Amino acid sequence: MEFNLSEEQEMLKKMARDFLTENCPKSLVREMEEDEKGHSVELWRKMAELGWMGLIIPEEYGGIEGSFLDLAVLLEEMGRAPLPGPFFSTVVLGELLLLEVGNKEQKQEYLTKAAQGQVILTLALNEAESDLDPDSMTTTAVAKGDEYIISGTKMFVPDAHVSDYIICAARTSEGVTLFLVDTKSSGIQCNLLQTTGGDKQCEVVFNEVKVPTKNILGEVNKGWSYIERWLPKAMVAKSVEILGGIQETLEMTADYAKDRMQFDQLIGSFQAIQHHCSNMMIDVNGSRFLAYRVAWMISEGIPCTKECYITKAWVSDASQRVVVLGTQVQGGTGIMKEGNMQFYFRRQRVAEVMLGSSDFCREKVAQEMHL
Amino acid sequence: MDFKFTPEQEAFRKEVRAFLKSEVTDELVEEVNSGLGLGPAGWEYVRKLGKRGWLVPMIPKEYGGLGASFWERFILNEEIYYCFPEFIQYFGANIVAPIVMEIGTEEQKKEYIPRIARGEIEFALGYTEPQAGSDLASIDIRAVEQDDCYIVNGQKTYNTACHYAQYHWLNARTSTEGKKYKGLSFFIVPLDSPGITINPMWTMGGERTNEVFYDNVKVPKKNLVGQKNRGFYHMMDALDHERMFPITHIQRGLDDLIKYVKGTERNGKLLIEDPLIRQKLAQFAIDIEVGRGMGYRIVWLQDHSKPGGHETSILKVFVTELERRLTYTAVHIMGQQGALRYQSYCSSPIAGWLEHWFLADTRRTISAGSSEIQRNIIAQRGLGLPRS
Repeated sequence: MEFNLSEEQEMLKKMARDFLTENCPKSLVREMEEDEKGHSVELWRKMAELGWMGLIIPEEYGGIEGSFLDLAVLLEEMGRAPLPGPFFSTVVLGELLLLEVGNKEQKQEYLTKAAQGQVILTLALNEAESDLDPDSMTTTAVAKGDEYIISGTKMFVPDAHVSDYIICAARTSEGVTLFLVDTKSSGIQCNLLQTTGGDKQCEVVFNEVKVPTKNILGEVNKGWSYIERWLPKAMVAKSVEILGGIQETLEMTADYAKDRMQFDQLIGSFQAIQHHCSNMMIDVNGSRFLAYRVAWMISEGIPCTKECYITKAWVSDASQRVVVLGTQVQGGTGIMKEGNMQFYFRRQRVAEVMLGSSDFCREKVAQEMHL
Repeated sequence: MDFKFTPEQEAFRKEVRAFLKSEVTDELVEEVNSGLGLGPAGWEYVRKLGKRGWLVPMIPKEYGGLGASFWERFILNEEIYYCFPEFIQYFGANIVAPIVMEIGTEEQKKEYIPRIARGEIEFALGYTEPQAGSDLASIDIRAVEQDDCYIVNGQKTYNTACHYAQYHWLNARTSTEGKKYKGLSFFIVPLDSPGITINPMWTMGGERTNEVFYDNVKVPKKNLVGQKNRGFYHMMDALDHERMFPITHIQRGLDDLIKYVKGTERNGKLLIEDPLIRQKLAQFAIDIEVGRGMGYRIVWLQDHSKPGGHETSILKVFVTELERRLTYTAVHIMGQQGALRYQSYCSSPIAGWLEHWFLADTRRTISAGSSEIQRNIIAQRGLGLPRS
């Protein structure tokens, strides 16, 4: 066994840390929460120059052809920043799914552009009453000539308001089908939602939106089987991003405890504070092992569906414990809007239920265990 | 990164598994579960392990081991732990042999290690005293030099294994000057030495431990191990050997619990169909993966000669607290069945042993460094928080 990252991965990690420290200061994070777009076009361009949006894209489509583990390294740093904007949407919700299901022409057209940072992608999967459940999905797509007409309302679509293409899951004659929808199509309306995390999620209304048949991803009615193949990996990606946030929370909290005086002593010398910090570290270390081992398994092509669910379940719960304790240790400072702890507290809340809550994942684990 | 075992390691695991399948009999498991330590079946099994060099796989061949790596030792223990949810610690093999190998004289190595390796002798740890639990620097049993001996007087408590081991791995005070932790030394003492009295103490789980009295016990000077007055440091190093925590016994507990819920109906429904129970069982599978990873990480650190430090404490806290959660949840899921003892005529075998384990494993978050002490270590060494 080898627990260390490769030399190249360590370099990527360091480069990402340095780049984000310089280009994504907390002032920008704060500003982007209030900004309607929610991301800096200039930062997006710089990230494109570094090739980050093409990290997991094969060379034939202009990417770097890195591994999933490489992506994990990058996402951890983004979670630590925490980077605002549509990177996760474009790369994990968009590219990763297109890689799974797109045909050659579709990959050529969309992945090539995405790799260069020329287009922003996202995925419209859930609805008000449907969370990762195909049976309760009500948005429909009806065939009409060489087109499909999509009608319905999707919810919690990240960054839809700035996206160029939305992959939309809709109900067809005998199942679910995935459509690649140009956001300039008529009949699409994006309404920005206000969330705990200050991220940009949207309600997307499809009002008889016409989509050409060539924009169907994979086969008609088989959409959910693709989602099921892709979802575990996306969960891992989300888990690594969360990991970055709780690693930062742990370090920030320990620093605070080593600096804050009460009763003429550093509060870090109090056993109650020490034990809170230890519990945080136990959770962060556990999360780190699970997230990286499964990212490695994905990279190596080792079957790991169960491990993916295990990871998201654990990281969702562990991260909640970590941010709660981090806030507790930092006291008043921890809950103030002007401080940094609150970013991680609020973002964790959104991330833990995105792409599978721990309850959902635990039931999946139970099924994988043949219970 | 790479989280695979090598083909050789996988083959070794298979070999160990096959051996255990044929050697771990019901009689042996029952003897282990009795809480009395090594009996006739236990000694026979230990000698069989010894024959293969498996008691001390990492010790060099010339002293009876295999010269294997930390990985082989861990794999071996993973397989053994799966067979004995409530296992016996081989103090001689796991703690005394490695530390004697490190700090003992050549004569001591030759005298004790091959016999430990063959499964002929066992040691009992002689650390805790009534006033020295987590605060081991307060050890007070006195060893005073006299001619070619030390004369030892005082008391130990919770010294498990003293009633069936041949030797005491005794930590005693050899100096009362200066800082408390700078006056301790290690001795190997035959437990049948004149002046030693061993009295049983019983845990609520039916396990026997002991209080030990030393009344003018003569210990030859050659039995001093390591440097005089450096015993506290040696003890801390030895604790690191102790802190190896496979989680396969917890996996075994979960596997057995799953069998129970798959085969048990309550109120007209199989327990396994209850969503709350499914959530709990899945959570254990998740926690077990975390513990497994923490364990492998420690082995990897050891294998690269890097200190485990606070990471060993993280592992100890996590695994022992997970074990508590599992046994508690198991007896809880079993409802009133879960409170039936083995001896009860209508108790199912699984309900019986989980109830037994529930009581017996309560000590695991207390012994070998309590959860609270471990959390102090994590905070101070792992995160650099100041000592109070």
